[in-house]
Amino acid sequence: MTLKTLKIEAEKAIEKARDLKVLNNAFKKYLGKKSELTRILRSLEKLPKAKRVKVGKEANTLKNSLRIQFDKKARELKEKAQKETEEKEWIDVTVPGKRPVLGHLHPLTLVKRKAEEIFQAMGFTVIQGPEMENEWYNFDALNIPKDHPARDLWDTFYLKNGLLLRTHTSPVQIRFMEKNQPPLRIIVPGRIFRHEATDASHETNFYQLEGLMVSEQVSAANFKAIIEEFFQRFFEKPVKIRLIPSFFPFVEPGFQVDMTCLNCEGKGCPACSRTGWLEMMGAGMVHPNVLRAAGLNPKNWQGFAFGMGIDRLAMMKYKINDIRLFYSGDLRFLQQF
Amino acid sequence: MKFSYNFFRDYVSRLPKPEKLAELLTQHSFEVEEVKKTGGDFLLSIDILPNRAPDCFSHFGVAREIAAITKSTLKPLLVRGLISNKLKTRDYVSVDIRDKKACPRYTAKVLTDVKVGSSPKWLKDRLRVCGLNPINNIVDIANYVMLETGQPLHAFDGQKLEGKKIIVRFAKNREKIVTLDEQKFDLNPDVLVIADIKKPIAIAGLKGGKIPEIDKKTKIVVLESANFNPRVIRKSSRKLNLKTDASLRFEHGIDSNLTELAISRAAYLIQKIAGGKIAQGLIDIYTKKSYPKRIRLDYGYLIRLLGIKIERKEVKSILTKLGFKIIKEKFPNLIVEVPTWRLDVSIPEDLIEEIGRIYDYEKIPATFPIAALIPAKRNLNAFWEDMTKNILKEAGFTEVYNYSFISEDEVKIFNNENLIELENPMSKEQKYLRSSLIPNLLKNVQKNQKSFNKIRIFELGKIFGLKIKEKRQLAGLISGDDFYRLKGVMDLLLNKLGISNIWYDEHQPTPGQSKKALWHAKKCAEIKVDNKEIGFLGEISPRILQSLKIANKVVVFDLGFDKLQKLASEEHEYMSLSKFPSAVRDLAVLVPRGTKVVQVLNKINAAGGKLIRDIDLFDIYEGEELPQGKKNLAFHIIYQAKDRTLKSKEVDEIHQKIIKALEKDPTWQIRK
Repeated sequence: MTLKTLKIEAEKAIEKARDLKVLNNAFKKYLGKKSELTRILRSLEKLPKAKRVKVGKEANTLKNSLRIQFDKKARELKEKAQKETEEKEWIDVTVPGKRPVLGHLHPLTLVKRKAEEIFQAMGFTVIQGPEMENEWYNFDALNIPKDHPARDLWDTFYLKNGLLLRTHTSPVQIRFMEKNQPPLRIIVPGRIFRHEATDASHETNFYQLEGLMVSEQVSAANFKAIIEEFFQRFFEKPVKIRLIPSFFPFVEPGFQVDMTCLNCEGKGCPACSRTGWLEMMGAGMVHPNVLRAAGLNPKNWQGFAFGMGIDRLAMMKYKINDIRLFYSGDLRFLQQF
Repeated sequence: MKFSYNFFRDYVSRLPKPEKLAELLTQHSFEVEEVKKTGGDFLLSIDILPNRAPDCFSHFGVAREIAAITKSTLKPLLVRGLISNKLKTRDYVSVDIRDKKACPRYTAKVLTDVKVGSSPKWLKDRLRVCGLNPINNIVDIANYVMLETGQPLHAFDGQKLEGKKIIVRFAKNREKIVTLDEQKFDLNPDVLVIADIKKPIAIAGLKGGKIPEIDKKTKIVVLESANFNPRVIRKSSRKLNLKTDASLRFEHGIDSNLTELAISRAAYLIQKIAGGKIAQGLIDIYTKKSYPKRIRLDYGYLIRLLGIKIERKEVKSILTKLGFKIIKEKFPNLIVEVPTWRLDVSIPEDLIEEIGRIYDYEKIPATFPIAALIPAKRNLNAFWEDMTKNILKEAGFTEVYNYSFISEDEVKIFNNENLIELENPMSKEQKYLRSSLIPNLLKNVQKNQKSFNKIRIFELGKIFGLKIKEKRQLAGLISGDDFYRLKGVMDLLLNKLGISNIWYDEHQPTPGQSKKALWHAKKCAEIKVDNKEIGFLGEISPRILQSLKIANKVVVFDLGFDKLQKLASEEHEYMSLSKFPSAVRDLAVLVPRGTKVVQVLNKINAAGGKLIRDIDLFDIYEGEELPQGKKNLAFHIIYQAKDRTLKSKEVDEIHQKIIKALEKDPTWQIRK
C-alpha cells in the first residue's frame, strides 16, 4: 500500500469515527505497533540511501499529521461524550433542597440578646435577680407603701410561703444598689408575673428589661439620648421618642416613653390609633426614697430608670399579634425563628 | 375618666379646640384616650394618673392644668348664695363624729323651702356626658359639684333625720341598710356609716340610704360634705364589694380643705336652680386641719435633673399658674408653698416634675451622659446560658419558653413534692409553681405530636420548691429517637462547655421512688462528672406517657444549671497532631447480654496502654445467629504513636495482648 492510499484511508477512518472506541481501533490500525506505517518506517533501513531519505521523510510527515488529526478528533469526541453524559445527568433544579436540621432559639431570646448587645455597647452591665420576691423589694423599697392605692397598679400573684412573684424587674435596682456603689449602669432582663386575665396582649408571665443609671449628675436629657439611641439601633430606623408625663411611685419625675410609629413614621395610622406615636415604656428619674431604701444618700446621687416589655419589642419586630404564642411551645411558630 | 368640654369652658378663657386640647393635655398632663362629639358637647376620656386623683378627678382641677398649659386665666367658682339670717343651721341638725381618724372633717349646711324637681337641660346634659343619670335637681347638683370640684357630697331630707342628728360611726354587727338604688347591705364593724339616732342612713363615702332620700315633698335639705380616711373607705368598699364615684375619689384621698368650698358651691347652685333659703352657719367639725407644706427648691438641682436650663421667671410663672406660691427667693433656692389640694407634692423632685412637664419635656435635648469609660462587665450567668442555648441549637434543638406554673392535674401525674402553692391562682391550671421543667416540656410534645414526628426541644428556666427555693434548670427531650441519641447530645453539650470526666451511672431508685417514678426503670442514668451527680438522662416512664396520651417514646435530660455552670470552663488546649500514620485493627467480642461496654473498654485500654489513640464501638449485635443471652461487640481500635511510625508487627503484638486480656474472662469470647 502506498503512503498516499494509506493517508486517504486513515483520514477517512478518523473522519468516520463516531466514538472513542472506534477512534482508538483506527489509531491502532494506522499508527499502532503493528500498523502499515510502522512497518514502512521499520523497513526503511533496508532501502537504498536516496530512497530511504525520501520515503522516510514522507512517512514521518504522514505519521505526524495523522497524530495531530487523531488528537484533534479524540478531543472532539471526548467533549461530545462528556456533553452526552452530562445531558443524561440532567437534574431538576426546582426540586426542593435538603436542609440540614438546625435548632431554633426562642424569639424572646433573640430580642433579649439584641437589646443586651446595644446596652452593653453603651456600658450597661447585664444583671439578674430572683423571680420569687418579698414585699420589701417588690413594693416597699420602691416607694409603694402597703394599703396604698398605687399597689393596685400591679396585679400580684402571692405565694403561700409568704413571698410573691415579682411584678417587675425593678426590685433588682434595690438589690444591686445595696451591694454596689454608684456610678453604675445596669440592665436587668427577666421574667415577671401579673395576676391578669390573658388575651392577645396580656400574659400571666412575660419579660421585662429594666435599666438603671446612677451617678452624680445623670439627667432626663441623658435618658432621652440613651433611649433614643437604643430604639434607633434596635429597629434600625431613625425613630424619634417623646416623653409624656406618667406616674410610677419609684421615679420622680415619671415619664411614659413614646416612639414614632414604625408603620406610618409618625403620620398617624390605625396601628398607632392615628396618633403617630407608640407607647414603649415607663421611665423616670429615680425617686430619692428608692435611693434611700438601697442605702444611698439622695443628696449625692441621681439617675434614671426605665422598664420595657421584651415581649412587646419582639411583637413589634416580628409583627406577632398574640403574646400567648411565645409561651405556647408551638413548634410551627418557634421554628420560624 | 369622662370629662365634658363645655364644663371646661366655664373656667378657662380662650379654651383650645377639643382635638388640640387633647393633644396639649397628653403632652403636659394626662393622656387623653378619646375625644367624642356628643350633642352640643365633646366627651374627653382622660386617663388621670393615680397620684393626681386628689386634685384632678374634677373638672376644676383639670381646668387648672389647662390654664397653666395655655397660660390663660382660671376663673373662680361662684359660691356666694343669699344667706337667711333668721334660719340657723344648728336648729335643723347637729353632728357627732365618733371616730375622728376615720372622719377628719365633716361639714353640713341646710337649705329650706327648696322646690324639688327636674334639673335644667344644660345640667342634665353635662351629667350625661360624664356618665351620670339625672335624678332630681338637688341630687343632680350634689353630683355636679362632685364632678366640678372632686368633693363627693350627699343630700338628706332634713325632716327624715331622726333626732335631727347625724352620727359618724362604724356599723354594728347585724345592722342593715337599703341604699338609694334599693340594694340591701349587711353591715359590719369594718364599715363606716352615717347614722341618725336610730339607724344608719348612709354608707360613709359610698352611697346614701333609701330612708332619708330627697323626694318631691322634700322641703329641708341637709347637705353633707365630708372628708373620710382613704383606708377606711377602701376597706368598706372591699367588704361590701361596692365601688361608686364617691368611693373612687375618697380612696385616693382628698384635700380636707375642699369640703367647705364644695358645700358652699352646692348651696349656691341649689338656691339658683331649686330656690330656697340658705340657713346661717356652717356645721364644721374639723379635727386636724391641713396646712400647706413648704418645699425648698434648688434651682441648680432643677437644671441638673432635667438637663435643660429653664429661666427662673418661667419656673415661677409655671408654679404660680398651678396654684403654688413663691414665699421666698434666695438664690439659688426658691421656697415654695404647696396648695393643700396637691396631696401628691412633697419633695423638690415633685416640683421639678411640675415645672418640666408644663415647660414641655419635648424641649429637653437628647444629650449623651458624661461618664467614665468603664466597659460593661461580663455577666457569667448570662454568658453560660447563651453558650448552652447556642450549643443545643446547633445540635438541632428548638428552644421553648413555658409557663412557670403547673396544674393540679399535672401534680397528680408527676407526684411532685415540696411544691410552692399560689395564694391566688388565676385558674386550676396555675395552682403551683413548677418544680421541674419536664411536665411542661411533655405537654409541648403532646401538643406538637400531631404535626411533628421528630421533636427536639429544650428550656432553660427557673424552677421552684419549698426546699430548693428558686434555681436554674436546663431540660430537654427528643421524641422519635432513642436514648443513645440524646446521650450523644449530652456528651457534646458537656464537652463544648469544657466539661470532661463525664460518665453515666445506672440509677438505683429506692423502693418508694420506683412506684411513682418519672423515669423508665431500666432506661435511666445519672449524669455524673467525677463523683458528682449533675442531672438525669432517661426515657420517660410508659405510665406517664400513657396518662398524657403521648404516642412516641420520649427521652429526656434534666440538668441543674447552677451545678453545670460551676463545672463549665472556657479553657481549651490544642492537642498536637501526630505526624505519624495510625493503624487500625478490628476486634469483635461475644459477651453476655448484661456485660457493660465500659467493662470491655476498660480492659482494652488497660492492656493496650498509651499506643491506643481511640476505640470506636461500631456495632452491637444481638440476634438469632448468636448463642442465647449473648451479644456481639465490634470495635475499631486505632493505634498511633506520637514519635514514630508503628511497625505492623508491633501493632499486632499489642492487639494480641488485648485479645489475651479479654479472653481471661471465660464468658467472653473473641470472634476471629
